[in-house]
Amino acid sequence: MTTATLSAKAATKKTTRGARELPGGYAGQLLRVDLTKKKCWAEPWGPDAMRELLGGVGLGAMILYRETAARGGKGNVAWDHPDNRLILATGPMAGLPAWGSSGLTVVTIGAGTNGPTSTQANGFFGTNLKYSGYDAIVLQGQAKDWVYLYIDDDVVELRDARDLLGQDTWATQDTLGTKLGLSGHMLSVYSIGPAGESLVRFAAIQGDYGHVASKNGCGAVMGKKKLKAVAIVRGGKALRAADPRGLVQAADDIGFDLRTDPSAKSLYEYGTLPGVVNLSRLGALPIKNYTTNVSPVDMSRWEAPKLREGFDHRGHQCSACGMHHCHMSVIRQGEHKGAIVDEPEYEGWSGAGWAIGAMSDIDGVAWLNTELDKACLDVNEFGWICGWVMECQEKGYIGEKQLGFRLGWGDIKGAARLIQMISHRQGFGDVLAEGVKRAAEALGGEAKKCAIYTEKGAAPRGHDHRARWDEMLDTCTSGTGTLESGVPVHPAEVGQPTRINTFDGEAVAKFVAGIRGRRHFEDSLGMCIFTTRTRLENLARALNAATGWDVTVPETVRFGRRTAAILRAVSLRCGLTPDLERPSTRYGSTPVDGPAKGQAVGAQWESMVNTWYREVGYDRKTGKPLPATLKALGLDWLAKELWGKKA
Amino acid sequence: MRVLKIHPEKCTGCLRCELACSYTQTGTFQPAKSVIRVSPFEGHTSYAPYTCTQCAEGWCMTACPVGAITINAAGAKDVLDDTCVGCKLCTIACPYGTMFYDPDTRKAFKCNLCGGAPACAEACPTAAITYEETATLDWLGDFAHERTARVLVGGRGSAS
Repeated sequence: MTTATLSAKAATKKTTRGARELPGGYAGQLLRVDLTKKKCWAEPWGPDAMRELLGGVGLGAMILYRETAARGGKGNVAWDHPDNRLILATGPMAGLPAWGSSGLTVVTIGAGTNGPTSTQANGFFGTNLKYSGYDAIVLQGQAKDWVYLYIDDDVVELRDARDLLGQDTWATQDTLGTKLGLSGHMLSVYSIGPAGESLVRFAAIQGDYGHVASKNGCGAVMGKKKLKAVAIVRGGKALRAADPRGLVQAADDIGFDLRTDPSAKSLYEYGTLPGVVNLSRLGALPIKNYTTNVSPVDMSRWEAPKLREGFDHRGHQCSACGMHHCHMSVIRQGEHKGAIVDEPEYEGWSGAGWAIGAMSDIDGVAWLNTELDKACLDVNEFGWICGWVMECQEKGYIGEKQLGFRLGWGDIKGAARLIQMISHRQGFGDVLAEGVKRAAEALGGEAKKCAIYTEKGAAPRGHDHRARWDEMLDTCTSGTGTLESGVPVHPAEVGQPTRINTFDGEAVAKFVAGIRGRRHFEDSLGMCIFTTRTRLENLARALNAATGWDVTVPETVRFGRRTAAILRAVSLRCGLTPDLERPSTRYGSTPVDGPAKGQAVGAQWESMVNTWYREVGYDRKTGKPLPATLKALGLDWLAKELWGKKA
Repeated sequence: MRVLKIHPEKCTGCLRCELACSYTQTGTFQPAKSVIRVSPFEGHTSYAPYTCTQCAEGWCMTACPVGAITINAAGAKDVLDDTCVGCKLCTIACPYGTMFYDPDTRKAFKCNLCGGAPACAEACPTAAITYEETATLDWLGDFAHERTARVLVGGRGSAS
């Protein structure tokens, strides 16, 4: 296998050539990899680009915009084209002592929507990469034979991965750790399992035992490039902070907020586990493929402390993190006794549990959730597809013969069988591997009406959005294939009300538009969205202490909206036009029971979208950000490119 | 004497101690130069930090041919950079693997308890490292034994 080694000398020469001093927090180089040509090289980037793009999705969005336009014409390259970029980016805070600062943001043209993606994971990716001397990895081309990317400071090699083929993501990390003689966080591995190898359209990229960049089929992109894994040895280099004491102080203040602020405290104590009970009270816990919102089981079993204490558990935190969030669990009883699993997030309990009617077998759900991680399937979309198949079988839309077996509500074993069929595209699994939208369209008729998806081809996150209209609107209008405005954090800080009537479409649309920008900023820092649940003022202070800049709170939001506009431009170039910004029949239906019974999102949908467009300053007809909006964001160049003389 | 007490069952493997240590010792964040190191146990499921216990025997001091290792005000064995010739004998003599050699400075380095205010204990978010008046002990022995035994028994799904 050909290897390309970056010599320390060559890399240093490039970075120091006439460059101004780098801001603190940055490694100063992007690692470029051309899989077709089997070449790896370090590309220095400078202070101006860093201030403009930060890292993560900010950096990734610009690379997509600049490098994925179709050659010699209009449009964009498709997700499976060699010119598609797979950007694995971290950010300026990664590797520094703020909590959860090892963030990975994956940016690419995803297989789900065939449009842009921004999806996050953590673990030790960002830390190991930054200490190796790189702020991001930008992959292009397609390898002829399966490879994995090995990074150990200045030694960067594309190595033969044929012996890893077929291995699940945990086995891949075990094998590489053994082979390289590295254990624990000395080696961070992000890989794809069989689902990524088979180009399943909702394949994820999984790393460090339980961390998943799951959205929009980024794992299929990795599979198409024949890249099995990225293995990064904990680097030996140093990171500087402009004001180290100020950084530690800001990090401590963020930690204080997370520990004590009512909006973050439960996350600090139990991660996302409290979501199960809390969302069920709102009618936002998806039960049996959105067919009901009334739990048939005693919810006290699903309270966070019981979920955690039901297993032997150990903390499994990301870099420098003090949250009691990520855990490893050992199953105490039943069929999978002794199995070590990643403690499911709320979305694991919903996707591998409630959405498919598994509401009693908590051990089984925990096991199934890790099986999904191992296969590298997005747990949310799996929940929608498995629940859909279960409902279709119940109603006779999918026959036993067609599927190959009987799959009833809550059947964990059957769901595990479905994982294998999808991951290897066996039998009917081949249809399901195309994702919920395409599978539903292939069947058509009544079956199609039961499926949960957006017309863009993305699947929602693991909630019943018929009781969370903000997230339904956000999912449908987003330029990332998933939530873009995200969950509100201290909305008053950006001039938004702290509370709105969640079933008032006008108020919802204004709110979603109003909080927009923060999420893109967070996803560019190299941190976790759970450890950024503090005031923007604290985040800006930490960033400034790391880099030596003077970023203000308004600038953080402006940065985010600028990034959103660039992603929107890529999205439009991919053909994701405003007519696709709507939910499927079931996704946009009216709940028949439960706390949100009768709340009809469909009746307010059009006016809600219209309001959103007006508030964000985008053109309702073409979907393009208006020239005035772009200019106000400092994107005059994009206004010219999108609007020509009209700008 | 106050020593660093390790509570391995509290460690979550976040490695914040390594960041804090390297900053205090070198002025930059560089975990490769941390003198506290977090090791994995039972595959990838348990972690525990480990550093110099400031042992009474002081093997490193005894081995040093130039007298570069002394005891500082906090009671920690400390390397005098001006005197150290980088011969690495101390790294061989230390039975605990907590003496290190820095190829950049060509000097030995080790935990000096940050002169009496250990950064690792301050940085640990779960109090898995505390700085207290206690007799120094083998903090990890029982923990490591128990975790390793479980792997060797090999339950289903155990990390390989």
